[in-house]
Amino acid sequence: MTGELRMWKQGDTLGPWTEVVTRRHLVQYAGASGDFNPIHYDEEAAKSFGLPGVITHGMFNMGLLARYLEAAAPPGGRLVSFRARFRSMVQPGQTLEITARVIAVSRDAEQERAVVDVSLTVKGQPKAAVAGQAVMMWRDSWGDPGGPSS
Amino acid sequence: MFSVDRSQIGRRSAPCETEIEKGALRRFAEALGVDNPLYYDLRAAQAAGFRNIPAPPTFGVTLPQNPVPGLVLPEAGLIHGEQEFCYGEPMVAGDTIGVSAWLEEAKSRRGARGNMTILTIMREATNQYGQIAFTARSVLVVMEELTP
Repeated sequence: MTGELRMWKQGDTLGPWTEVVTRRHLVQYAGASGDFNPIHYDEEAAKSFGLPGVITHGMFNMGLLARYLEAAAPPGGRLVSFRARFRSMVQPGQTLEITARVIAVSRDAEQERAVVDVSLTVKGQPKAAVAGQAVMMWRDSWGDPGGPSS
Repeated sequence: MFSVDRSQIGRRSAPCETEIEKGALRRFAEALGVDNPLYYDLRAAQAAGFRNIPAPPTFGVTLPQNPVPGLVLPEAGLIHGEQEFCYGEPMVAGDTIGVSAWLEEAKSRRGARGNMTILTIMREATNQYGQIAFTARSVLVVMEELTP
């Protein structure tokens, strides 16, 4: 569409990108999201709820997936939909590996679309902690950016 | 305390309106380590066809809402199982977004670790022009409270 960057092809793999989770991430995300559930920053509170210690917000993990996916996408793409399953916990100190795979690409006169599987795995663990899927779309024009036309 | 009133399934909460602040978007993007200029720079956002700086894709869950009819969530023992967003007109700085929420489904299961209830909660966000900004589906799992 834009011709600036090759569009994804079915089967393309993206990443891995690595991110080390720190307590700062948890505190900063709590503040920015307004989710002050103590299991995300208070070790004793987390343990009193039967957790091994503080854990990340599920939505922090999903936000990381969105960040890496958008950064890797051909320019001008927008998310149409995005979903994630939270399968296991993530704790500070762990190293996360984020990977994505383009599973379908389609195009018509007005737009291109891609379906991408994206997952986040704690290094050393066999299964993904978060598994998600996004649909992205590219168009030549998104309409008048001065305001909605309808 | 946890309770579900299934007769309230599908009944929407009154919309809760929030103005999307540029600073809130910036802090949210920073908390995720986002460095895409789209989320910080008005010119980059406008060049990409947005009316103003857009909200990062998962920002919508931070918007306040009124209580979900029929549902009182427990303080502990709540697991976020799944999250899904479907996006409409991009939500941007300066928009006034009204969020309403409802219980879509409540299923009870007997699991290995006790009883659990699987809740599907929907949210719909509408902007000041009456356009849908996003719909969101959350699956929450409530583990049976252990009584000492």
